[in-house]
Order: sequence, then structure tokens, then C-alpha cells
Amino acid sequence: MLRFLKRIFTDPELHKKKVFLRSLELFKDLSSRDLGFLVRSLHTRIYKEGEVIFEEGDIGRAMFVLESGKVELGMRDHAGKSRKIFTLEPGDFFGEMAMLERLPRAASARALERSQVHLLYRANLEEILHYHPRIGVSIMTHLAHLMSARLRHANKMALLQQPPTYG
Amino acid sequence: MAKAEPRSFPLIPVLTVLGLSALAVYNLRTVLAPFLLSVALAYFLNPVINWMESQGLRREAAVVFFYIFVAASLTVVTQQVVPGVKEELTQLNENLPAYLDKVQDVIAAAEKRALRYLPIEAKAAKAYTDSLHGNLLKQVQNVPSLLFGLFPFLSLFFLIPFITFFLLLDWHNILSGFIQLCPGRYVEQTLYLISEIETSLGNYVRGALIVVAAIGMGSYVGLKFLGVQYSIAIAALSGLASFIPYMGAILGAGVGGIAAWVQFGSIVPGLKVVLLFTGIRLADEAFVQPVVSKHAVKLHPLVYLLSLMIGGEMFGFLGLVFAVPAACIIKALLKVGWEWYTTEGYLHIHAPVESQVSPYT
Repeated sequence: MLRFLKRIFTDPELHKKKVFLRSLELFKDLSSRDLGFLVRSLHTRIYKEGEVIFEEGDIGRAMFVLESGKVELGMRDHAGKSRKIFTLEPGDFFGEMAMLERLPRAASARALERSQVHLLYRANLEEILHYHPRIGVSIMTHLAHLMSARLRHANKMALLQQPPTYG
Repeated sequence: MAKAEPRSFPLIPVLTVLGLSALAVYNLRTVLAPFLLSVALAYFLNPVINWMESQGLRREAAVVFFYIFVAASLTVVTQQVVPGVKEELTQLNENLPAYLDKVQDVIAAAEKRALRYLPIEAKAAKAYTDSLHGNLLKQVQNVPSLLFGLFPFLSLFFLIPFITFFLLLDWHNILSGFIQLCPGRYVEQTLYLISEIETSLGNYVRGALIVVAAIGMGSYVGLKFLGVQYSIAIAALSGLASFIPYMGAILGAGVGGIAAWVQFGSIVPGLKVVLLFTGIRLADEAFVQPVVSKHAVKLHPLVYLLSLMIGGEMFGFLGLVFAVPAACIIKALLKVGWEWYTTEGYLHIHAPVESQVSPYT
């Protein structure tokens, strides 16, 4: 009887989304309740094969979480020719830095196949930070960790090529 | 890295779409009214449904539970309020001739006083007071027809919850469908526009309804305490007028003060009512506004008034209802349009934090 009622009144889609989000590094510390709030702040869109998600130079206003499909990140070289720099797999997220800084995006993103993407819009993130600071702080902490890791990696790469100079 | 080409702002298509939409809304205003009111109500209620949904409830179940809860609450409230309204109407029916006599006495006394102190000819003063009296009687006689004129709007009370029910059910689907329709590259901009409209309109509707309820309740309790008749009607008038900043307290003090003066035959109770509404206004400013206007759209009181006047002039009663929400939407459109124009054309870009970059340690 309880199982029947649960099936009628609870949302299986919400449960599926929660399971997916919890599998991501960025949201792994959030409780089920927090994930419920987060799901309500995400917008979902399906991109067709070849469809542009954003172009290099567009102003960043959202970060993207790839649930299914593949997305290619590309950058234009000095000659203006587009070069592939990375292929994103399900569970990856992208576009977070331009969103935080509201700066032109450093790369373009294009769906390589039919891809389902969740968008966390900047205003929604601000709303989360304001009304659910626990969720906001957890997300921001993970973003800071990620940035730190990228910086460490960039330093290592730079050291391999030439000693860095600061100031 | 090669610098990306700035995107040109599609000004002409955007302005054409906006112009055509405005024309369509103007031509279909009567038909669209219940739908627009339902959208406003759905904006107000959506956070509650979203909250229930985030707790794990299916959206359909959340909407149905919410409607059952509201229906039950309304039944209880109606049972409490209807006898009071009935009593007030009976009293008004009985006392109206006496009130009109009193008003006539006041006009006659004012006429006498004016003749004593002002250099006006008796004939001209008489003609003026007669016309004033005649106009007043005409307006009083018009009250029943005005009330009957409101009946078509009563049908909205059934239609609006009905439309709102389906809007609430499909809120996410409507939004997702809209986002899916946008070209991929413009999704972020579209979300920006939606979020700005949602924030300003949603906060306005929620804030306005909270203020209306707070002032209405405060006025009712205060007037009841002072023993003023027709406290429900005056409180309702004051609450509804609170949609315009300051207007609720001004109308409440004016109408309530006169009602108390006429009822008790002395100016002191009238002054007490004025004091009561001054207190309500201050309490509203001190306790309600800080909560309500924290994230609400910032519109100057004069913009409120101007939009109401334009709305009333162009669309009549419906214009009054939709004037401020329309002003909120126009403000959001202008804000997003301007930011889009400046950032996409690289006229203004948020400065990156560069001054304090130090090595990774």
C-alpha cells in the first residue's frame, strides 16, 4: 500500500536527477533535500548533433552540466581557425569560470551528438547562495578546489616549458 | 587566442517582435485578461509548488494538494467573513439616508460659513452647493449600477483559478519548451531575460499581495478596536489601495476618518482613525517593507502612479490591474536589452580580477 502511494505521489524523474547530480564531484556533498532544491534551479535543454552551445567570445551567464551525449570544446588559433581542445563526456561540467566572472568565453562548445545538458544560470546560483547558503557554499568550495587544481596543473605545464615569471 | 567578433544586437527584429506583441495584447486585451491574471497568480504560487516538488512530491500531486488546502481555508474564512459583510451591508442600507442628511447639513453649514467670511454672492454660492449636492446624490445613486458592473469580473474568480491550475501543472514544460525553441547560442540570453522578468514580476506580485494582506488585516483589527462601523469595507478599500505606495493609508485615513466622524458625531474618533492609519503606515515601513522590497523591483512611487494613469487611460479597469506588472516587465526588458547591447558589443565588460594575481602557493 505504502509503495503504491509512494509511486503515485513521488516524482521518479526528480529521483533520477538527484542520483545523477550526486554522482558529480561538484554536488557530491549535498543532501537529498539540497539536491531537490538544486534540481528546481536547473534548466534542461537537448542540443542536436552539431548545434552550437556557445561561441568563443560570448558573455558567460550560465554553467553547463552534461548528462548525456558528447560536447566538443574548441578554440580559435591566431589564424582564426577553430581547433578542438577537449571532448566532454557525460558527468562533465563546463562554462563555470566565464559565468563567475561574466567575461567573454575562452572557448566554443558544440554538441558532437544529441546531448542533454543542464544549465545553472548565474541568477539561480545567486539565489541558491542567498536562500540556501549551505548548498551555495558547498558548490563554491568545489569550484574553488577545481580552480586550484587547474592552476596547479597550469603551473606544472608552464614549468615543463619555461620557468614562470610573476609581477 | 584570436579575439572573437562581437555579436551584433538584433535590434530591428527584437523591436519588431515587441511592437507586434504590444499591438496584439492591446487588441486582445479583454480576452487575454484572465490569462494574464492567471499568469500573475501562477508566478505568486509557483515557489510554493516548487518547494513541495523539491521535497519529492510529484508536481501534479503538489498542485492538487495545494488547491485542496486553499479551498478548505477559503471555506473557513468565508464562513467567518460573510456574516460580517452581510451585517455591514444591512447597516449601510439602514443608515444611508441618515448619512446623506448629515452630509447635507455639513454642506449647508459650509455654505453659511462661506457666505459670512467670503465675498461671494449668495446666489452663486447656492448654485455651487446645489450642483455639489446634485453630483453627490448622482454618484450615490450610481453605486448599485457600479456594483452590478462588477459582476462580469466575478466570473474571473472562477476562470482564473481554473487557468492557473493548468499553468502550475505545466510550468516547467512551458519553460522548457520555450528554451528548447530558442537557438542554442541564445539560450543563456533567453534565460537571463526570463530570470529578470520572473524576479521582478514574481517579487512584485508576492510583495504586493503581502502588503495588501498586512494592511487590510491591520486596518480591520484597528478599526474594530475603535468601534468604527463598516470596518471590513474600509479595511478592504485600504488594503486594495495599497497596491499604490502610500495610497492605502491615505484612503483608509480619509474614508475611515470621515466614517468615524459621521458615526460618533465628533472629530476626535476621526482623528483617532487618522492616527491608526499613520501607525499602520509606519509599521508597514518598519516591518513589512524591509522583508517585501528586499528583492522586489525598484520602481519610484511616481512611476507607479504614472503607469497606473497610463494603464487606466488606455485599458480602463484592466489597465489599472496590469499597469505596475507591465511596468516591471518593461523595466526588465530595458535592463536586459541594454546589458545585452553593451556586453555583446563589448562596450562594457566586467573587469577581470588581475590586480592581486600572485603565484600558486
